[in-house]
Amino acid sequence: MDKIAWSQFQGLLKREVLEHRNLFIWAPVILGLLIFVIDFLIITSLAEENKIAFVTYLARFFNGGSPMEMSGVFVFPTLPFLGILYICAILYLTNTLYQDRREMSVLFWQSMPVSSLNTVLSKVVTIVLIAPLFYVAVVFALYLIGILWLIVSGLIYDVEVAGLGYMFLSAVFSLPVVYLFAATSALWLLPFIGWLLLFSAFANRTPLLWAIGSLALILFLEGFIFGSQFLSNWIETRSDIDNFLIIEFGGIFDRLFSYDMLIGIGIGSIFICGAVYMRRFVD
Amino acid sequence: MKNLILKNRYTLLLSVLSVYVVVVVIEGALTDREPDLLRFDNSLFTLDLRDIGELGDFSIDL
Repeated sequence: MDKIAWSQFQGLLKREVLEHRNLFIWAPVILGLLIFVIDFLIITSLAEENKIAFVTYLARFFNGGSPMEMSGVFVFPTLPFLGILYICAILYLTNTLYQDRREMSVLFWQSMPVSSLNTVLSKVVTIVLIAPLFYVAVVFALYLIGILWLIVSGLIYDVEVAGLGYMFLSAVFSLPVVYLFAATSALWLLPFIGWLLLFSAFANRTPLLWAIGSLALILFLEGFIFGSQFLSNWIETRSDIDNFLIIEFGGIFDRLFSYDMLIGIGIGSIFICGAVYMRRFVD
Repeated sequence: MKNLILKNRYTLLLSVLSVYVVVVVIEGALTDREPDLLRFDNSLFTLDLRDIGELGDFSIDL
């Protein structure tokens, strides 16, 4: 990719983030604020001796532990953020190409020296690589506030806070794991991403219904005509939660370099290719 | 062939879905794929929700 093409692609990525900042920026910020308020209310309702016991327990739990090994503990609190990321991703993928056609902005973009392939790829890159960045940034801000509160409380109640330094390092080490977890799971779910993009480019109205209805119809036809369950087996395997849940660096590489990941990327590419060609049909 | 596939949005959709079905069915037949749903297996804990009646065996390896 030459310099001009790269700057064009960057422009497309910026456009996606700016046009969908509610999904990529404000959704995690609002969830973060909600979690902060709930935590704040719980903590302020604790008695003083319980607060001291809480800070002491955390400081002792993390004290001397390897931040790399303990980072797994910090992956679980990010699951609500990843849940919201998946919901926002479904909304984004379902509407993005459909919205372009409905607003007729597709005609403007097709008149620009930007190919449909780059436009669709920018949407895939946005959801796989860019969106998780904002979510991880909000998670980091939450961890930072929480650990600062623990340190200040420890100093006020005269508790040994050295262990909280290890806790901070564990939290920092967990961030790349969470980011790679989100990006890897998005790659794992590339067939779903491609499926939603295909129907977003295809449907004249209610793309989500088209996507769900077509899937149900194909599954029904396979069972009805051939009496087999290869498609449903494949979808069930792809939806296996164990393939989403990665809590250590090793798990990420196991997922990335596997046959199942490769076949998923291949099938996702078929749908993405279909979405690219589908953009030529503008009513 | 290309003209037929790209004739309209419906022929294109049908072609993409046909390729998808063929690839998944062939791959499923070759690998004899079985669904592996709701199984958590990682360094912190192991849980198989298919054995929902044996949840007492849930083990945490912290």
